[in-house]
Amino acid sequence: MTPDAVARDVEEQATDVDTASSPARPTTLVLQGVTKRWAGRAVLDQADLVVERAVSASVIGHNGTGKTTLLRILAGLILPEEGTIALDGIRQEDDRREYQRRLGYVSSGDGGLYARLKVKQNLELWAGLAFVAPSQRRAAIERSLARFGLEPLASRRADRLSLGQRQRVRLAAAFLHEPQLVLLDEPFASLDDQGADQLMAAIAELTRRGGSSLACAPADRPGVSFDQAYVLADGGLHPA
Amino acid sequence: MAGGALALIRRDFQLALSYRFQLVAGTLGGLFTLTIFYYVSRLVRVGPFDSPDEYYAFVIVGILILQVLNSVLAGPPTILRQELVAGTFERLAVSPFGPVGAVASMMLFPFILAVVTASILLLFGVAIFGVDLQLSTAALAVPAAVFGGLAFAPFGALLVALVIVVKQAAMGTTWIIAMISLVAGIYFPVALLPGWIAWAAEVQPFTPAVDLLRHFLIGLPLREAAWLTIAKIAGFSALFLPLSLWVLAAAVRLGQRRGTITEY
Repeated sequence: MTPDAVARDVEEQATDVDTASSPARPTTLVLQGVTKRWAGRAVLDQADLVVERAVSASVIGHNGTGKTTLLRILAGLILPEEGTIALDGIRQEDDRREYQRRLGYVSSGDGGLYARLKVKQNLELWAGLAFVAPSQRRAAIERSLARFGLEPLASRRADRLSLGQRQRVRLAAAFLHEPQLVLLDEPFASLDDQGADQLMAAIAELTRRGGSSLACAPADRPGVSFDQAYVLADGGLHPA
Repeated sequence: MAGGALALIRRDFQLALSYRFQLVAGTLGGLFTLTIFYYVSRLVRVGPFDSPDEYYAFVIVGILILQVLNSVLAGPPTILRQELVAGTFERLAVSPFGPVGAVASMMLFPFILAVVTASILLLFGVAIFGVDLQLSTAALAVPAAVFGGLAFAPFGALLVALVIVVKQAAMGTTWIIAMISLVAGIYFPVALLPGWIAWAAEVQPFTPAVDLLRHFLIGLPLREAAWLTIAKIAGFSALFLPLSLWVLAAAVRLGQRRGTITEY
């Protein structure tokens, strides 16, 4: 199937998915009929979700309902047993590289940084792995450092940062290559108010250029709001 | 794809430099080995070696090749384990470069470093212990080492696939390296192997690679025609490199299906 055909197919699927969002708007992410079981228990059961372009969305739910599993499936770390996922009309199984190029991902926890590399070296590595053009890397890294107030820490080793500073580096890496969709799993963990403001500013900048975000984050943090919210319960996603 | 591989080579170089004495300590360790085997070689006065110096040149080249082999076989599974424990493999797995490319690229810097270190140690051997290096052909050992590395790489890829699936490969790595040391003529000529196991010297790429490198470095005659030696190495690479990468990709997909790809 050609990329155009995939895109048409996915747009058609998007109009079929029953969500609160309008199918007429262009979509970034379409997840349809996704099922994932752990030890026989379906944490996602024929789950559907459409995230439109230029939208920030959040997923809430009790512990263990499958929020992290959902994001890990969207990030391509886990394969679902059933269902399809497309990002800008591209399915991961059809064109993995293009799918991942459009994606930024911050996992829960504080892993993912090379402890003995400096902040800037960690970002340089990510720029290389994300295929940012060599001529654009320096500017992309500087933008990302500035976005999360990391310039003073650029030459500091990752293992000499506080947890909040590490989280800002992880966020900077996820936004560095200007992805179309950023997946954020508990992104406010360890962030102070300034860090949270920087993250919300980065999300706002992302939506201004037509990108989208999907965060698993508590709904009650002051100063934090998303355009759309979904509740993950009983294996399905429901508008909050 | 080359950009992703270069980014990982650069990362490994930066990490190696961050441990200030690692490179020096590694080279010094090799120098001790060279010294020990120099005195061991003084005890060797049997055929097919005419003198202790001949055995010393033979075994030193074998040991340096083993060091390069170790970098491809033992290095990547250890690095991958560290990546899994530190949570950095997840970042590689979600990158456009991808888990298969990243894991395959983990072999590159250790291989380059091992070739450089082995070259330095060989020069030590020449300068301090009088190894008779064949200057007219020694430079050919570099492409031969790369060629040999391609033949060794499938074993490394299979071991990292094992780490992805069962999370451990240390025992398998130790076994493979011990077997190779035994049947590839690292420490002694394969002609000394008893008949029941002599076939094992002929069905893997290590023996012809070791023969070829010894030929270029110290002028030891090849056991077979040069074209046949090269054809064996090339054939093994052509057959098993794509196969091992396919197995590696299958291991990654299995990890993704089971949800264990980033577990350790």
